[in-house]
Amino acid sequence: MSSMNATAFYFESSMAQESTEIARGLRRRDADLLDRLIEQYQHRLLRYLVYLTGRRELAEDLFQETWIRVLERGHQFNDKYAFSTWLFSVAHNLAIDHLRRKQPASLDGLLNDNDEDAPFDVPATGRASAFDLTVQREQSEHIAAGMQHLPAEYREALVLRFQEGMSLEEIASVARVPLGTVKSRIYRGLSALEPWLKGAQL
Amino acid sequence: MNTDAHERARKLIALAGPETLSAADRPSDQRSSNAWLAAHLETCASCRAFAENAAQTIHGLRAIPIAAERSLVSTTQIRVRRRALELRRNRERLRLVSVSCTAVTLCALLSTVVLWRGFEWLGERAQLASSVWQVGFLVFCVMPALVAAILLLAKDRHLADHTGSYRG
Ligand SMILES: [Zn+2]
Repeated sequence: MSSMNATAFYFESSMAQESTEIARGLRRRDADLLDRLIEQYQHRLLRYLVYLTGRRELAEDLFQETWIRVLERGHQFNDKYAFSTWLFSVAHNLAIDHLRRKQPASLDGLLNDNDEDAPFDVPATGRASAFDLTVQREQSEHIAAGMQHLPAEYREALVLRFQEGMSLEEIASVARVPLGTVKSRIYRGLSALEPWLKGAQL
Repeated sequence: MNTDAHERARKLIALAGPETLSAADRPSDQRSSNAWLAAHLETCASCRAFAENAAQTIHGLRAIPIAAERSLVSTTQIRVRRRALELRRNRERLRLVSVSCTAVTLCALLSTVVLWRGFEWLGERAQLASSVWQVGFLVFCVMPALVAAILLLAKDRHLADHTGSYRG
C-alpha cells in the first residue's frame, strides 16, 4: 500500500518536473524541444484530430497548425497541468475555429456524412492467433465504421477517455464543457457503438 | 427492477475508466457504487451483456491504429522551426526599434536642455527680455519642421503646376 503511494508520488513528481521543463522551454521558444515534442506526441495528437474531425486531410492540416500555435502561445502553458491536456485543448480550439469559419459553431457539423471517406483504417497487425486477429480486426472495422456515424463530440470524449486514458476532469478541460456533459457523452457514445459491435459479431 | 437501476448500472459501466485505483484507495461512495453494480450485474443479464459489449467496444477502439506519417512530422518540424526563426527576427527588430526610440527620446531631452541653457545664456549676454529669447528658442525648435513643411508644400505646388501645364 505504502509502496503504491510512493510509486504514485514518484510518478506525479516526475510528471510535474517534466511539465516545468516543457513550460520553461516553451517560454524560450526552444525549437529543439518542439522537435522532440512533435516526435513524442505525433501519433496521439493525429489520432485525436482524426477522431475529432473525421477527416484525415483536415486532421493533418490541424496537426501542423496546432504545433505552430504551441510555438506562438507556449508561454500560456501552465505547468500545473499535464502538457498533453494543454496540447489537446489547443488542437480542440483550432478545430472549433476552423469549423466556425465554415459554418455556425459547435462540433455537430463535423459529423461524417461521407461514408466513402474512411479515415479510421484498420490494417491487420498483432500477435494473436489468426482467428482472434480476424475477429478483432472485424470488430475494429465495425467500430471504426460506427465511429464515423457518431457526432464529433462523442468521438472526442471516447478517444480522450479510452485511448488517451484521461480523467473525466481532464476531458472537461480539453473540451471546455461541464463534467456532467463529459459523462453523458461517454455513456451515449459507448451505447451508440453497441449496435455496431453487435454487427461485428453476426 | 426499474429502468433507472439499469441506466445507473450502464452509466457506471461506461464511466468505469482507465484509473486503476486499488479498492482501498477508492472514495467510499465509489466503493459502494461498485458494490451495488456488482450486485446488480449478478442478477441482470442485459446489463452484464452491456458490460461485455462495452469492454469489447473499448478494446476494439484501442485496436484502431492511426499513425502519423514521417513526412507529416518532418514538414511540421520544418514549419515550426521556420516560424520560430521568424518570431525571433521580429522580436529582435522590435527590440532594435524600441532601443532606437529610447535613444532618440533621450537625445531629444538632452539637446532641449542644452539648447535652453544656451538660449538663456545668449539672452543674458545680449540683455534681452526672457520672453524674447524664449520665443527665439521656440522658433529654433520648430524651424526644421516648418522649413520641411514649406518645402513639401512648394514641391506639391510645383508638381501640380507642371501637371496642369502638360494637360493644358
Ligand atoms: Zn440491469
